[in-house]
Amino acid sequence: MMDVLGHLGYGFQIALAPINILYAFIGCVVGTLIGVLPGIGPAGGMALLIPLTYGKEPASAIILLSGIYYGAMYGGSTTSILVNIPGEAASVVTCLDGYQMARQGRAGAALAIAAIGSFIAGTIGVVFLMFVGPPLANVALKFGPAETFALMVFGLSMVTSLSGRCLRKGLVAMVLGLIMATIGVDLPTGVMRFTLGVPKLMEGFDVIVVAIGLFAVSEILLCTEQLGAGEYVYHKLSRVWITMREFLDSLGAILRGSVLGFFIGVLPGAAHVTASFLSYTLEKKFSKHPERFGQGEIRGVAAPESANNSAACGAMIPLLTLGLPASAVTSVLYGALLMVGVRPSPMLFQKYPEVVWGLIASMYIGNVMLLILNLPMVGMWVKILRTPPRWLFPIVLAISFVGVYGVNNSALDLIIATMLGVLGYFMRKTDYPLAPVILGLVLGDNLEQAVRQALMISGGSLDIFVQSPIAIGLFVLAGVVMVAPQLIYRKGVRLETET
Amino acid sequence: MISQGRTEGVIVTTIGLAYLMGAWAIPHASVGDPLGATTFPVILGLVMLILGLSLTFAPDKGTAPIGLKKSLGGIAVIAGLLGIYGYTLPLVGYPLGTFLFLAITARYLGEKSWAMAIGLSGGLSLGIFLLFTKVLDLPLPFGVLEFLKG
Repeated sequence: MMDVLGHLGYGFQIALAPINILYAFIGCVVGTLIGVLPGIGPAGGMALLIPLTYGKEPASAIILLSGIYYGAMYGGSTTSILVNIPGEAASVVTCLDGYQMARQGRAGAALAIAAIGSFIAGTIGVVFLMFVGPPLANVALKFGPAETFALMVFGLSMVTSLSGRCLRKGLVAMVLGLIMATIGVDLPTGVMRFTLGVPKLMEGFDVIVVAIGLFAVSEILLCTEQLGAGEYVYHKLSRVWITMREFLDSLGAILRGSVLGFFIGVLPGAAHVTASFLSYTLEKKFSKHPERFGQGEIRGVAAPESANNSAACGAMIPLLTLGLPASAVTSVLYGALLMVGVRPSPMLFQKYPEVVWGLIASMYIGNVMLLILNLPMVGMWVKILRTPPRWLFPIVLAISFVGVYGVNNSALDLIIATMLGVLGYFMRKTDYPLAPVILGLVLGDNLEQAVRQALMISGGSLDIFVQSPIAIGLFVLAGVVMVAPQLIYRKGVRLETET
Repeated sequence: MISQGRTEGVIVTTIGLAYLMGAWAIPHASVGDPLGATTFPVILGLVMLILGLSLTFAPDKGTAPIGLKKSLGGIAVIAGLLGIYGYTLPLVGYPLGTFLFLAITARYLGEKSWAMAIGLSGGLSLGIFLLFTKVLDLPLPFGVLEFLKG
């Protein structure tokens, strides 16, 4: 314990050096800008700015890049809340209730709880990273393809079973996402699948294109319809600040989201996306008023935002201790570490304490900085919502299209986003949930590769999935979460008819 | 008349069937990979087909009718404008394409003054373009205005 505190003190000495505070500040500001404006995303933004780290001390370089990472993650939630544009896959969950809160005139509270939740989760994540980081890395090593597959099946079942009124419609949405994920070149064999002879489809569907199409474009179509029919509900003038009651209501969700997010973040796969989806679903499942979720429930913003941030801390563990980058963002950080001459390994804590502890301390400083930077900006963001819809809608579409075009510089992506917008519009009108499509798309490729790798290892025998206690446990949980809500629902209906 | 729930089921079944046929047509080339490139898509296609058939023969009755006739016009216009905007973006360029899209859409959605539509769209399209290209270094097409750069 004293040892850890001593190391952390050393880390703070490094992170609090004026030049490093400046780098953390620049990173947070640039990151927030990247996050607010769709199109680049945290990983892309960090990769673009890697040249800024040339010639700097390793600790300074990593502090700058991780500042961009947190800033971008926070900035992404701002557009999700205000105009329903998810900047990245994990922000999709924030759209569900955050945007509804904004429509009800509570954008200020949603933005504030996102900032406060991210801050608390980041802090908890950093503390966990210090104390349980190295032993947890060994747990991540136990996750082979069979366990990874089971984890993803669990995540998909959980989200699908609770995301809509009708389980079959949730399943259709999830399978649709998985189907989209199969489009493109199959990497292990090099075989083209469902590309219809269109070269651009070889790379498959990008999650940003799908998320913006399904969420932002379909929302504008829905609003246009309401505007035409005279049913459009104008954004109410927003209260800028969060009330004490709202904060206290969200505190439990923040804490649960933080702990869950951290542990899922350690695991391989699209961990921070799974973390935010799962924390939202769990919060809904254990809420006394699950019907409020999706209608502007503040816990529906607090939980995924917290999980997302602490998952970012969790993802540092396999990166720093095993040299295993589990996501696009940590891959960029891995590359940056190599460029400054630091090779992540189990010995990293001993060999480069200034980098590891400097990074940990700078995460803490980054969290404080983001809170200070973002809370005063809440009032400014809320004013955007006063724009009349005849201007707000086209502007949102034009900015969304920059995001879509920026992915591959391709007009085809813009057409796909438009078509998905129309699809999303009809899905919403007919009660098909949109979130499972995104999760299916994000996890689809990893899910297929995991099952194929597992069967390659076992020589085609399915036994590999039932030989690992972790995998069995996750499969059982997946079954329970699929069946339980249906049983409870049927029992409720029976009770209602009996009475 | 076929109910809305059943129509949804038929659409899902058609998607499942079409996808399944596509999945079967994928060449099954795999060495040491028991599943190959085909099995996973075939399973997905089958699941989609079963879900579609289930929604066709036992439709979900809880969804309110979507009332298409009333809304289709406005949706089609916005989606059409967006499709044209996207399709022509590389050729026309972001500043000009966005200017036209903003001005026409704002007018369609109720902006009464042409002067306002043109002025605001011009300023916004240029502002967004400069922000992304100059501040964030994200390349956006200049299109027909390319000559202005040189």
